[in-house]
Amino acid sequence: MWRTIQINEQSAEPLYHQIEVQLRALIVSGQLGEGTLLPSIREFAQQLKCSVITIRRVYQDLEAQGLLRTKQGTGTFVAKVDATDRDRHRLESVIQALDEAVAAARRVQCSDDELQQLFLDALKRHNGET
Amino acid sequence: MEDQDWVVQLKGVKLSREHFQLGPLHLQVPQGYITAIVGPNGSGKSTTFRMLLGISKPDEGEVEVLGQQVQPETDVGYKRGIGYLQEESQAFQNSMRAREKADFARMWHPEWDINRYRELVRLFDIDDSLRLGKMSKGMRRKFELALALAHDPKLLLLDEPSSGLDPIAWRTMIDVLHRHMERGDRTILMASHIVEEVKRLADYIVFMIHGQVMGVFEKDELFRSWQCLYVRASAADVRWEELPGFSSREPAGGDSVKLITSEASEAELWLQERDITIQARHVLELDDILAELVALRALRSPSRMKGV
Repeated sequence: MWRTIQINEQSAEPLYHQIEVQLRALIVSGQLGEGTLLPSIREFAQQLKCSVITIRRVYQDLEAQGLLRTKQGTGTFVAKVDATDRDRHRLESVIQALDEAVAAARRVQCSDDELQQLFLDALKRHNGET
Repeated sequence: MEDQDWVVQLKGVKLSREHFQLGPLHLQVPQGYITAIVGPNGSGKSTTFRMLLGISKPDEGEVEVLGQQVQPETDVGYKRGIGYLQEESQAFQNSMRAREKADFARMWHPEWDINRYRELVRLFDIDDSLRLGKMSKGMRRKFELALALAHDPKLLLLDEPSSGLDPIAWRTMIDVLHRHMERGDRTILMASHIVEEVKRLADYIVFMIHGQVMGVFEKDELFRSWQCLYVRASAADVRWEELPGFSSREPAGGDSVKLITSEASEAELWLQERDITIQARHVLELDDILAELVALRALRSPSRMKGV
């Protein structure tokens, strides 16, 4: 499942952040279940063609957030995420994506009304109403 | 790189030859990582390797490898912890069969692992009954690499490792090297000018130009911080040279300017403060960055460079 993680080299967003957001989403959505063994830092780095420093940072961040745990000598596993935490994490990434959308709108001087309309249009599109 | 153990340390190393001046060189190579030295031909990469092995003696400065000061009277035992793939194969060994060379290496290395050697020979599809001089360039390269790896060296020195390898062998090599690093305490120091190889392998990148280290960078940070930005140049009074990390500028057609910076996020803020819109951006490839550094070095004194 972790193999679905992709990075965009042209993005201004730091690599560790791109990876962290995607890995967190896989965990909180339950696509990577509790106890799943993640690849070693070196293997993950090889797969994504990034440095082990970046992957170590991702693992450390997610460990600090209680989403991963590392057993010395065996590897890094997906931790047990309880329901309330999962809910919080689940919405966190959505809130962040919305923040980014608002920032993108501001950059092109999009008004609040326009933005709300765009949001409703997007919802409709995804619900197959248009 | 705090709390780091250094496998290689060069302090104020200088070496002068008739047509070549190396240093003063300061370099630290961290344990557990792959560090790639990148630089134009003749910038001192191979000489640096030879100094680590005590083959070339610096005129000044200190060389420390695997915790051992390398000096003329140094016990050569530390070299057992090193695997070395040199740039050119040795012509005097041409009549030697590959297996004989392997047997010789085995006598020298107590940690020689015959199973690992056989596995590498199989992985790389090497016929080690051949004489070295009869092997194709690629097979000889693969054999030398297998030999450098078979005693599971703490420090692996690779000088242009992929030279002569076909794409399949190249992929095998990348994989083998990553697996060698898997346990986390092994170190690779490599010299390469193959962009893709450095991208696939390196954790840290060292730029070495004309015998000088022009900075050590974490790979992903390096690629994020060097960017090419296209902006409108209608504001005539902007002093582009003051852009953070400014490296170069050239007209990009119409009233657009192409700017290259080594501090992309700071540069972006700087442009924002001046109400200058970024029209397009892209990250630089390793060879682009190297070319910028070579040009910068020609322009100004190296002491002004960030990261030195």
